[in-house]
Amino acid sequence: MTAPPASSAPALEISGLTKTYSIGLFRRRRVTALRNVSLSVPRGEIFGYLGPNGSGKTTTLKVLMGLIFADAGSVHVLGYPLPDPAWRYHAGYAPEHPYFYDYLTPREYLAYSGRLLAMPSREIEARSRELLALVGLHRSGDLPLRRFSKGMVQRLGLAQAMLNDPDILFLDEPMSGLDPIGRRLVRDVILSLRARGKTVFFSTHILPDAEALCDRIGVLRSGELLSVGRLDEILDLNVSHVEVLAAGLSAEAAASLAVPADRRRALGERIRLEVAEADVGQVATAVEALGGRILSVQPVRQSLEDYFFRELGAQEQLAQTLEEEQA
Amino acid sequence: MRRILAVAANTFRESVRERVLYNLVFFAVLMTLSGLLLNKLSVRQDDKIIKDLGLASIEIFGTLIAIFVGVTLVSKELERRSLYPLLAKPLRRHEFLLGKFLGLSLTLLVNAALMTLGLYLTLFLTDRGVELGLLKAIGPIYLSLVLVVALALLFSTLTSSALASVCTVSVVVAGRFSDVIHNMKDVIPDAPVALIQLLYYALPNFGNFDFKNRVVYGDPVGWSDLGWATTYAAVYVGLVLTASALVFERKELP
Repeated sequence: MTAPPASSAPALEISGLTKTYSIGLFRRRRVTALRNVSLSVPRGEIFGYLGPNGSGKTTTLKVLMGLIFADAGSVHVLGYPLPDPAWRYHAGYAPEHPYFYDYLTPREYLAYSGRLLAMPSREIEARSRELLALVGLHRSGDLPLRRFSKGMVQRLGLAQAMLNDPDILFLDEPMSGLDPIGRRLVRDVILSLRARGKTVFFSTHILPDAEALCDRIGVLRSGELLSVGRLDEILDLNVSHVEVLAAGLSAEAAASLAVPADRRRALGERIRLEVAEADVGQVATAVEALGGRILSVQPVRQSLEDYFFRELGAQEQLAQTLEEEQA
Repeated sequence: MRRILAVAANTFRESVRERVLYNLVFFAVLMTLSGLLLNKLSVRQDDKIIKDLGLASIEIFGTLIAIFVGVTLVSKELERRSLYPLLAKPLRRHEFLLGKFLGLSLTLLVNAALMTLGLYLTLFLTDRGVELGLLKAIGPIYLSLVLVVALALLFSTLTSSALASVCTVSVVVAGRFSDVIHNMKDVIPDAPVALIQLLYYALPNFGNFDFKNRVVYGDPVGWSDLGWATTYAAVYVGLVLTASALVFERKELP
């Protein structure tokens, strides 16, 4: 085990990272997966790495983990250059759709991981107990992994990534394949890591997760980093409009409100109205005057999803998704 | 070294749990039946038949395991991506390869040791002499198995399990007929000498490990013969493992 890393350096520093693949029968076609990606993640931050499928998120993580090699650029993790294995003693990685040897039990897999991290046996045992409880697998610690569901395997992936109490954790789509309880659990774990001053770099295309967790995000499109910053820097957090949910209005009464038809939507016996912030009082009074009642008033801000669709283009995303499904 | 041993231990555990050693049951049945049958028939030189059968089984079963488990050592890890979280840890690629190689070599050692015990047990129970000299044939057989593992590992780093199986079987079969290649000039006079020489020296010569007949029929096997077989195996395995490591070190994982 090496000495702890110098604490002054950023947790992650990527500069000019470029990666191309050769594809086709004779490998003559070149596809650029990452184009001059540069970003820096300070310590103690939760950084969300966002982008649609095929934008280069997993490629970036594979370069960081040394599974593939960049054509150009440099990476420093915890102050160490990427090829120096020293930082790996202080880092954790959970891949997307992990597979762990199905003939092992979670406890055995963690013991194996711990030995690769040069951890003492006693520490491996103690950490395994603690982490299996944390990810809700304490009762399944001695069951073979072939009996595990996809979500359980995903949670074990998180546990093995945290075995060495890493200073930086790389998570590739950590919420995919998890049920709501599992997602909540992973969210809580990530937040508790931040509370302990750890750095988390995670890729996702589930935008509410990024909104709920990230201090900063980076948005990737076709291998290029579109923007990096705090959510409030990237998104317009001013209220764009207000959603008023009303009940007890007939169709005629609703039509008589000063709200355009494309901003009214019937939801069974209720009706949802999208109105400007300044018009809320007037609309609420009109609803009550027509015999209806207001159920809720919800200010709406630009979401990450809105940003995504605006910046990346819904058409492009749709075309790409269809292309991937056909492939 | 600790990391290499951790990978080796896990590879051995995988072989055991994936029931690779179940072939021993088949071997035990084969040995018992042959012993019983030969006792009934009172065939002349029946102890030689048991020894031949035992040694051939150790070699054939071992080679099959070495090839068909060996070719999955790396390719299965890549196909299932179980290697990803391991390489994210401070495990170097060549350490992983070496661990895999040692793990399967250990499995084959246990397999060969148990089969050897079975062979001796058969000889003992059928009132035939228990000769320690048999080990002079079994030791080199084990060395040949280790060489097959190294070859399978090399092909496993290069291609898929299926193609690696074909390549390994081809090289092993060709290596068992090295003398045919050496004498090819006599059969095909127009064959280019350089090519024949290249094939002969590049392919592993498994004849260097074959002492079965000499041991069974009582011809002496000297320590120099065993020393040459060991040196040949060490050098060849070393070269093949180095080539595997060089290939794997720069391999882009899928």
